[in-house]
Amino acid sequence: MNHAPVVEKAQRAGSSYKSGKYKRYVWGFVFVIPAIIVFALFLWTPIVKGVIYSFYNIDFVKGNTFVGWANYEKALSDPYLLTAVKNTLYYMFLGVVMGFWVPCLFAIAISELRWFQGFARISAYLPNVVPLVVMYGLWRWFYDPVGPINGTLSQLGVEPIAFLTNPSWSMISIVFMETWQQFGSAMLIYLAGILSVPRDHYEAAEIDGAGVWHRIRYITLPSIKNLLILLFLLQIIATSQGFQTQQALLDGGPNNATLTFALLIIKYATMRLNYGVASALGVLMFLVLSIVAYIHFRLSNKEES
Amino acid sequence: MKARERGIMSRYDFKKRPVVFIYSLSVLMIVIMMFTMLYPIAYIFMNSLKPNPELFSFPPRFFPSEWVWDNYSKSWDYIPLTLFMRNTLLLFVGNMLSIMIITGPAAFGLSKMQVPGKRFIALFFLTTLLIPPTTYIIPNFINIKELGLLNSFWAFWLPAGANAFYLLLLKSFFDSIHHELFEAARIDGASELRCYFQIAFPLSVPIFATLAIFVFNTAWNEWFWPSMVMHSDDRYPLATAIYKYVIQARMMDWNQRFAILAMVTIPPIVIFLLFQKYIIRGLHLSAVKG
Repeated sequence: MNHAPVVEKAQRAGSSYKSGKYKRYVWGFVFVIPAIIVFALFLWTPIVKGVIYSFYNIDFVKGNTFVGWANYEKALSDPYLLTAVKNTLYYMFLGVVMGFWVPCLFAIAISELRWFQGFARISAYLPNVVPLVVMYGLWRWFYDPVGPINGTLSQLGVEPIAFLTNPSWSMISIVFMETWQQFGSAMLIYLAGILSVPRDHYEAAEIDGAGVWHRIRYITLPSIKNLLILLFLLQIIATSQGFQTQQALLDGGPNNATLTFALLIIKYATMRLNYGVASALGVLMFLVLSIVAYIHFRLSNKEES
Repeated sequence: MKARERGIMSRYDFKKRPVVFIYSLSVLMIVIMMFTMLYPIAYIFMNSLKPNPELFSFPPRFFPSEWVWDNYSKSWDYIPLTLFMRNTLLLFVGNMLSIMIITGPAAFGLSKMQVPGKRFIALFFLTTLLIPPTTYIIPNFINIKELGLLNSFWAFWLPAGANAFYLLLLKSFFDSIHHELFEAARIDGASELRCYFQIAFPLSVPIFATLAIFVFNTAWNEWFWPSMVMHSDDRYPLATAIYKYVIQARMMDWNQRFAILAMVTIPPIVIFLLFQKYIIRGLHLSAVKG
C-alpha cells in the first residue's frame, strides 16, 4: 500500500501550520458572527433597552422623552399592582398545591405497572400535544355554566358552579386545566429518573426488611430528589411569568381575579399603550425573578457535573 | 423461565394483603387518570360531529345522536384555514432554516473550531438563558417595531436563530463527535464549511430532528406573540387566527368551532405518534432548560 500522498499532504499542512491557524481563526469568526449579530439584535438589545425604556416616555410618533423615575413611581402606585402580585403568588401556590405532586405520584405508580405501561405513558402525555388554543376552546366549553361538568353536577343534585366567572373559582379552574395539559411531560421526566434507579437497591432493602413504603420513602424519593428540586424551580419560574391562559380565557377577569403580574405588563402595553411603565414593571419583575433563576442555574450546573 | 425484572415491589410483596390492596388502588388511580386524559380529547372529535343544540343538552351526552359531517365542510369555509396553515408552515420552515444556518454553525464553531475570545462569546450567548423572557417582552416588541419588522415573517425567522437553549443542545451534541474526524477532513483539504455541512450536519440529524419538533410545536402553538407582531390575515399563523376568529368569536356555532379545533388537533397528534422517540428525548433535554 502506498501512503505517500497522504503523508505529503500532512506535511504540507504542517509546514503552513501558522497561516492555517490564522485562517482557521478567520473561519471560526465567520461561523460565529451571524449568531452574535442576531443575539445582539434580538435578545441583548431588548434586554438592555428594557432598562433604558423604563426611564423614558415611549411615543412612537413624537419620539421618546426622558422622565426619570416617573415610570417606576407610576408602576408602584398602580392600584392593581398589589392585586397582580397577590394573584401571581396565588397562581404559583395553586400550581404547586394542585399540580406539583401529581406527576411524581403517577410516575411512581406507573413505574410499578406490569402491563400497558407504554399506553399509560402515551395517554398521560397526549394532552400536551393538544394545541393551546384547542385547549382553551375545549375547556371553555367544559366550564360553561350549562356545559357538561355542570350538567353532570346537577344530575347529581349539586348546585352548578360558575367555574370561570366566579372570582374564587376562576384561578383554580385555570390551574386545573393547565395541570391536565402539562402534567404528562413532568411525569415522563420523573419516570425516567425512577426507572434508572438500580433494582439491586430495592432487593437489598427488601432483604433487610424494608416495606414497600419505606423503599419508596428511602430509595425512590431520594434518588429523584434533584429532579424534584429542578422541576419545582422550573415550575416556579414558569408560573411566575404566566399570563397567556389568564389572558385567553378571562382577559384577567372576573373582577381582576386572574390578573397576574405579567398580564399587568401586557395590559399596560396593549390597552393603555404606556410602554414606559410596562418596561419598568418588566425590570421590577426581572429583579425578583433573577434570584430564582440564579438558584436554578447553580443547581442545573451541579446536575450536569 | 426468566423472572421478570423487579420494580420497587417484588413477587413476595404481592402475597401481602395490604400491599395488594394499595397496589390495586394505584392501578385504579392510573385508570382514572388515563380516562381524564383521553376523555376530553375524545370529546373534541365527538363535539365536532354533533348537531349544535346537543352540545349543551341535559343530561350531557358523549356520542352524537346523528353524525353531522357537514360541520367540517361548513367550518372549512368559515375562515381561510389553508392560508393560516401556510403561514404556520412558513414560520416553521424559516425558523428551522435560521437555526441550521445561524445557530448550528455558531455551536459548531464554539465546539470544534478556534474562535478568538471563545469563552466570552459563549457567555454572551448563554447568559440570555437566565433572563426570563416575559420581563422583556414589551421592549422586545418595541425593538421589533423600531427595526421595521412588524407584520413581517422576518420578525420570527431572524430571532429564531437567537436561541441559547438550542445553541446549547447543538453544542453539546457537536462536543460528542470525535475531534479526529474533522482533523482528518481538514488534512484532506476540506474547508470548514464542508466540515459543517457535509460531516457535522449529517451526523447530527437526531438532534436536529428533536429541534424540529420543538420548533414545530412553537409554531403550531404560539398565539400571543404573533398576535402582537402580525397585523393581517395573510400573516397570522394558525394558532393566532383560531384564537381571534374561533375562540373569541361571539356568534359561532359550537359544533363548528369544535370541527375547526379537531382539524387543528390532528396534525400534532399524528406527528407525536410517529416521532415519539424524538419527542421524549426532547422532553428530557428541556428539563435542563431555564
